[in-house]
Amino acid sequence: MHELSMTTQIVDSVLKEAKKQDAKKVTEVHLVIGKLTFLGIEQVRFSYNILVENTIMKDSKLIIEEQDGSIECPSCGYKGSLQFEDDPAYHVPIPTLRCPKCGKAAKIVEGNECTIRSIRMLK
Amino acid sequence: MANSKEIVKGEEVTLEIAPGMDILEVNKKLAQKNMELLREHNVRAIDIMGSIGAGKTSLIEKLVQALKHKYRIAVFKGDLTTTIDAERIGRHGVQVLTINTGRECHLDANVVARAVERISLEDIDLLLIENVGNLICPAEFPLGTEKRVVVVSVTEGPYMVIKHPFTFMNADVTVINKKDLAEIMKIDTEQLKKQVKEIKPDVKVAVTNALSGEGVEELIKALEL
Repeated sequence: MHELSMTTQIVDSVLKEAKKQDAKKVTEVHLVIGKLTFLGIEQVRFSYNILVENTIMKDSKLIIEEQDGSIECPSCGYKGSLQFEDDPAYHVPIPTLRCPKCGKAAKIVEGNECTIRSIRMLK
Repeated sequence: MANSKEIVKGEEVTLEIAPGMDILEVNKKLAQKNMELLREHNVRAIDIMGSIGAGKTSLIEKLVQALKHKYRIAVFKGDLTTTIDAERIGRHGVQVLTINTGRECHLDANVVARAVERISLEDIDLLLIENVGNLICPAEFPLGTEKRVVVVSVTEGPYMVIKHPFTFMNADVTVINKKDLAEIMKIDTEQLKKQVKEIKPDVKVAVTNALSGEGVEELIKALEL
């Protein structure tokens, strides 16, 4: 949904880090994007390629790792991946925060992030 | 810097760093600050999200009417342009501040922080924030309110809940509005309620008609106001 503004922030942050290191060129950027965010991978790539033009990030490799949702239950301590329920009325899997162990409401612990995991650069 | 690794290959030195920086964290941190500031002043704040035309403004009007003698209320009204809605709410004798976002499809913690600077927190107990009409984007940007509400209406069709599960995961209270039109729209509000609860078992649901005020008491209870 906000791929251009998010990617602008990503590129700005990478350029800032590269400047700190006096890098000549950025060769690789590794991102982790949670599946529970509203960020589309294709649109992030599209925005990235436009934004890195005329910067030392041009031609850098963009690796995007998608992070699955995971939950933790404050009631029983269950930790695990986000569950999906099949709605018999529509036959579509709906994600649910219902704890598979005790049935109470769990909290999201992973899947909401958009993190710059690592940057490779030439000095 | 947390982690860094230098790889030397002939003349070429590759540096790998791991900033571990979360871009979405910037907004979340600002939201946390807003929350702390509001708490310090004992101001309870509520973020009201939902599609264009779901009935957010009408619900706020009803909430204001019902609560203005109990709380000193201020309303932030997020809209792309115009102050039409601010005037609607302002008629009920509460302070309304319009946040015109121009093109942005949601409010974020930063614009709310700037709006908070423009009001006197000592003079209010309750801050209702009407987000920009949009069922998707606002969910990604917490504002620092104690509760988040999603308003949907039966005229949006039978699939709006299952199509937007992540929006409903982020809400503490869901309102199903325009209950008077459910039959005409052939919508079973109980079914919608079930879907919302399936996505988030601890969510509170209020079924309302914002024009007549039906169900508004239920909403007030759900908001613990």
